[in-house]
Amino acid sequence: MRLIIVEDDPMIARSLDNALSPLGNSVDAFSRLKDARAALRHDRFDLLLLDLGLPDGNGLELLSELRERGDKTPVLILTARDGIEDRVKGLDLGADDYLAKPFSLAELEARVRALLRRSQQRSDNRLMLGPLCLDPMAGTATLDGETLALPRRERRLLEGLLLHAGSIAPREMLESRVFSFGDVGSNALEVYVSRLRKRLQGSGLHIRTFRGLGYRLEEVPT
Amino acid sequence: MTQVVGSLKARLAIWLLVMVSGLGALLLMEAYGASQRAAERAFDSQLAAAALTVADAIQWEGRDPVVSIPLAALQILATAHQERVFYTVLDHDGRRISDNLDIVIPEADQAAAADAPIWRDTTQAGTRWRLHGREYDSAGWDIQDPVQIWVGHTTEGRRVLTHELFERAILRFVAMVLLAALLMLLAMRVALTPMRQLRHRLRQRQADDMRPLDMQVPEELREMVEALDTLFSRQRKSRDNLLRFTADASHQLKTPLAGLQSTSELALQSHAPDVWYQALVDVHEGAQRTSRLAGQLLSLARLRHMEEAEESQPLDLGALLRDSVLEWAQRDMAAQHDLGLAELPSEPMVVQGQAWALRELLGNLIDNALRYTPPGSEITLGLYANDDGLVLYIDDNGPGVDAEVRHRLRQPFERGGRQDTHGSGLGLAIVDNIAQRHAATLEIKERLPHGLRIEVHFPPSVQPSEEPA
Repeated sequence: MRLIIVEDDPMIARSLDNALSPLGNSVDAFSRLKDARAALRHDRFDLLLLDLGLPDGNGLELLSELRERGDKTPVLILTARDGIEDRVKGLDLGADDYLAKPFSLAELEARVRALLRRSQQRSDNRLMLGPLCLDPMAGTATLDGETLALPRRERRLLEGLLLHAGSIAPREMLESRVFSFGDVGSNALEVYVSRLRKRLQGSGLHIRTFRGLGYRLEEVPT
Repeated sequence: MTQVVGSLKARLAIWLLVMVSGLGALLLMEAYGASQRAAERAFDSQLAAAALTVADAIQWEGRDPVVSIPLAALQILATAHQERVFYTVLDHDGRRISDNLDIVIPEADQAAAADAPIWRDTTQAGTRWRLHGREYDSAGWDIQDPVQIWVGHTTEGRRVLTHELFERAILRFVAMVLLAALLMLLAMRVALTPMRQLRHRLRQRQADDMRPLDMQVPEELREMVEALDTLFSRQRKSRDNLLRFTADASHQLKTPLAGLQSTSELALQSHAPDVWYQALVDVHEGAQRTSRLAGQLLSLARLRHMEEAEESQPLDLGALLRDSVLEWAQRDMAAQHDLGLAELPSEPMVVQGQAWALRELLGNLIDNALRYTPPGSEITLGLYANDDGLVLYIDDNGPGVDAEVRHRLRQPFERGGRQDTHGSGLGLAIVDNIAQRHAATLEIKERLPHGLRIEVHFPPSVQPSEEPA
């Protein structure tokens, strides 16, 4: 994957490079909007990590230019500004995610991975996480290359979880996806989740419950 | 920003002008009437004098009166304004004995003049005339018949006199108004002296002088001076708070920075990689602690500087709570905890507030709970409505806080007696500050068998009245 970083603080830029390169990415770092703008015009990148306060302008300018000319490169905003206004503005302009400084590198890596996965899925309709692969069009799922026969509701649940892979899939969203209409009991969803859990046992994936919030499909750390 | 809208002097002057103009109009109308009456009186008596002079000149030749109009009478009538004059003498049958112009005297006027002298206004050939008629007993030998004498002149003299008198009245009036205005200005200057003194005092004040104003002022300024004194004392308090806070904050920032410095210094002196590694771990933790502290100091400072004008708006606290917990649950920091949300009421829970401040409140509550409870602890947030408004709570099943320390928790830099975490001790102070800004109260309770429950009680939200913008 090809990443572009626009960050004027050399220490942060270096640590971003050091953290993201070993994951198999090639990283181009720029400290000024002007250079980044030129690079974005010439080459295609899979992800842009964008700082907002730059010496020659605001990163939001670059973001809006990008979106205006229809460039859909995923953008992760990094900034020290903690103001909610900037965050909302960035997301309005078409940023895909937002990380406030200071952040832990582990958190950064997780976000980058999720964004890259989403970016990949844009070209490939299959939803994938670790050994799991789901083709929503064909309605087929494979685990470690072997076909996983799933009843309709479990398949829809898995699809919902995979769409949010890396982050929490809100319970309401899953409920409306699995049960097409009507009121459902509070633990109806839990029944399907536990069936799915059994199927995923030993696969290196598990479904974590967030009480009152939703579920997250995640890879078991090795 | 203060906007200058007119001046007191101008306002007073305008009011005076309006009143003086109204009053002046009335006075001038009255003066015009008086001038006119005076002119009429003066000229009417001239008419009477002329009539008398004519009467003196009547002589009798047998039965017939003979009149030779004396020059004096004509001069009296003509006045200084070269008026056209008129006279006629009628015998008791109404026949004209003598006249100079053909002005018809109506029968009714003749009859009236027989009883008493009369004055009449009339218009002849487009000219206004003032006529005077009276009857005299004749003084002939044989006949006792009365004769009527009518004299008159045009009204130019009266008009001129009226105008002269009126002009003088206007001059007097204008002089009076000017004098009054001058006196008024002087009076205003004198009356506004205390205000000027106050202004002078305020201007001369040092920027950091927060003592109350000590001066004698009239009753009207008392309230203003009292308000200023209150303001000064509030500013003094806020400045003292700020100084104390800055001192505390600097001290707090110095501590982790000193740690970073000494750790890195020691590591640099060593050549053993495992010492470096341990030092790096310490440096990393210290940096985390410092940056978190800086963030919290920033949000406290922002809260302090939050302007009153920053509009609060109706917000769904439930949605805000769900968002915040969802965000925090995905953070690395929460990975070892069971952070969850209790079932929320289905209807929106509306509070008046500022979204960023309430997010900050929730963030600090969650951050505190994660920081001060061991891994694996259960942390649950929830929201419900009761008779007194809304209650937002966060429960944990951590070790809890001793009763004697609990009430001190909301003070800045208080860590509930715990030195084993990287907390700054600012979290609950921020929460408390934000709660106060939303008219909410903070309650810290014990949970059994162990743990802590923090409740934020919001007052019932007042639906903002529909005011035109």
